[in-house]
Amino acid sequence: MEGVTDALNADAVQSLASGAPEWLQNRRLDAWATYERTPMPSTRLEEWRYTDLSRLLELDSLEPLPWSKRTFDRASAPASLDAALEADREASGRVVELDGSVAHVELDADLAEKGVRLLSLRDAVEEIPEVLERRLATEALPATDGKFQALNAALWQDGIVLVVPRGVRMEDPIRVTRHVSRTGQAIFSRVLIVAEPGSQVSFVDEIVSEDLEEQTLFSSAVEIFAEDAAQVQYVSLQRMGRGAFHLAQQRTIAGKDSTLDTLNVTMGASISRLDLNARLMGPGANSDMLGLCFGDGDQHFDHNTSQDHDAPHTHSDLLYKGALDDRARSVFRGIIRVAKGSQQTDAYQTNRNLLLSEHARADSLPNLEIEADDVRCSHGATVGQLDQDHLFYLMSRGLSRPQAERLVVIGFLGEVLQRLPLGGVVEKVSRGIEEKLNG
Amino acid sequence: MSDAPILSIRNLHAKVADEDIEILHGVDLDLNKGEIHAIMGPNGSGKSTLAKLLAGHPGYEVTDGTVTYKGEDVLELEPDERSQAGIFLAFQYPVEVPGVSIANFLRTALQARLDEGEEIDLFDFQDQLMSAMEVLEMDPAFAERPVNDGFSGGEKKRNEILQMAMLKPTLALMDETDSGLDIDALQVVAEGVNRLSEENPEMTVLIITHYQRLLNYIKPDHVHVMVKGRIVRSGGPEVAEALESEGYEEFRTVGA
Repeated sequence: MEGVTDALNADAVQSLASGAPEWLQNRRLDAWATYERTPMPSTRLEEWRYTDLSRLLELDSLEPLPWSKRTFDRASAPASLDAALEADREASGRVVELDGSVAHVELDADLAEKGVRLLSLRDAVEEIPEVLERRLATEALPATDGKFQALNAALWQDGIVLVVPRGVRMEDPIRVTRHVSRTGQAIFSRVLIVAEPGSQVSFVDEIVSEDLEEQTLFSSAVEIFAEDAAQVQYVSLQRMGRGAFHLAQQRTIAGKDSTLDTLNVTMGASISRLDLNARLMGPGANSDMLGLCFGDGDQHFDHNTSQDHDAPHTHSDLLYKGALDDRARSVFRGIIRVAKGSQQTDAYQTNRNLLLSEHARADSLPNLEIEADDVRCSHGATVGQLDQDHLFYLMSRGLSRPQAERLVVIGFLGEVLQRLPLGGVVEKVSRGIEEKLNG
Repeated sequence: MSDAPILSIRNLHAKVADEDIEILHGVDLDLNKGEIHAIMGPNGSGKSTLAKLLAGHPGYEVTDGTVTYKGEDVLELEPDERSQAGIFLAFQYPVEVPGVSIANFLRTALQARLDEGEEIDLFDFQDQLMSAMEVLEMDPAFAERPVNDGFSGGEKKRNEILQMAMLKPTLALMDETDSGLDIDALQVVAEGVNRLSEENPEMTVLIITHYQRLLNYIKPDHVHVMVKGRIVRSGGPEVAEALESEGYEEFRTVGA
């Protein structure tokens, strides 16, 4: 029973489950049972080869944060939260989550009228149980998927649920800002997005914190359903302080003729692990998968992606780029799987890394697993240094060395943002890059 | 000082950094304000090395001699300081800068020339950029394309001259600007340089080239022949013409 500690144990699950509807109690308890019998992932597993949890994750000292009702007061918001909100632009709806508890939800009145639901996961259990019973930790991220999927499904405190009804299109994004302040805690949160046929939505999920003295785990499980011909953009902006261990699991399920694009921006936390699985389930489904990371100091980023083509005429295009300074390191491991019968599929995967210091490191492991024969697939990976000729060219035009380096890094990472130019996101990420470059 | 050469090279010896390969074996050259000079030479003569070295390329190391620009030792300056002092190198192989548009790049370069607190006038900048692009027969949409990213050889060379037009150097070093250009592009590029020369009569130009072709369109005041790291002959435009008919053969033994 690896990973069961004085704080993370069956009692903790019980106390969260008590009083909940029966289906939910069972789901939590089953998830916990799965957690208990699943071994802790070790570096012997290919997927965890470069992220040694036995060394990096201080599970014994983490306490699950008990849920408590939190209220949000903008005037007394901590600096990182205040800055994130300040930089926000137009939104169709906003959510503020504090230490894993949703403290504020607002939604455009017209959209509410049209049947859009934006609410905390706790409220959703009361108000739309049929949606949750069908979708929560079942089709997309079931507990049986892995140790941490199980842990989150057992111990989630709260989360965010968005349901966009058939044909409803939202002009501006939903903007979620999460803030973590409790050090030494384990926070388990979830996102569930259901875009019904023909609907359209963008969702920006930002997580920020100050530096945290003791290791603090933020586990986020994101499940997204784009039903037939729906269009969904999901953006995760992770800018947590040092001390944070960010564990993100995302699964996207794209139906017939739908578009389900994701952008993962990883700038913060000491350790960040992302598992992203895009499933193209209906003919004509399309997923662009974009990622950008910028590491410095001792940051450790591990990206594990998969593109599963389970229907013909599906298209996926992944571009992950990373810039690494100081002793930072990143891992990218990506696989394209094309199932038998998924003919006329296009699947692309590109990972590019730029090392800004001789002590930085990037490992890139692209992979293909193709069982259909009428497909177009490609994968490529590069790890490059900032080269002398490049810098000389820019400096010969009068740019100082730092200015030249900055231009190269911004240009390098900017390619990703240009592919998903969502209002507010580009500015925030650009500013984050600038802050890192200014050291 | 007004009569002193703008650039004065004395007994310049240089080698590849980190290696013991000397490329320049004692170059002497004076360029006066407003003059157009050409250095011609066969491959491997060291002429491109000289151009890159003058701009501050870190791949070369000066082992002896001096380079004085506007009366000051230029060898102590970083490449960006040389640029700010008015030296410009049009690259033989311009470097791609993905994700950075030409307009943004030039704005940043011009801004870097200003004192802290000063801002470039964006309308002015845009006007200048558009008219310079017109002279070089470049589509205005080019301004928003990433620098050299996916450009053809000819587009890259035009982009070099565009930068030269915008940065308005005192000393322009043109390293094999004619290589890889077809005759139409060559004429456009030469026309661009000639216009700049007319607009800034004080601009000094040093053209590095293997062939006489470019010199049919940009008329040099002085032509130098470089072989094996030394200037072996200097004269007027007639030197280029002689080279065109006789080739470099007669010089091959000179530097030996």
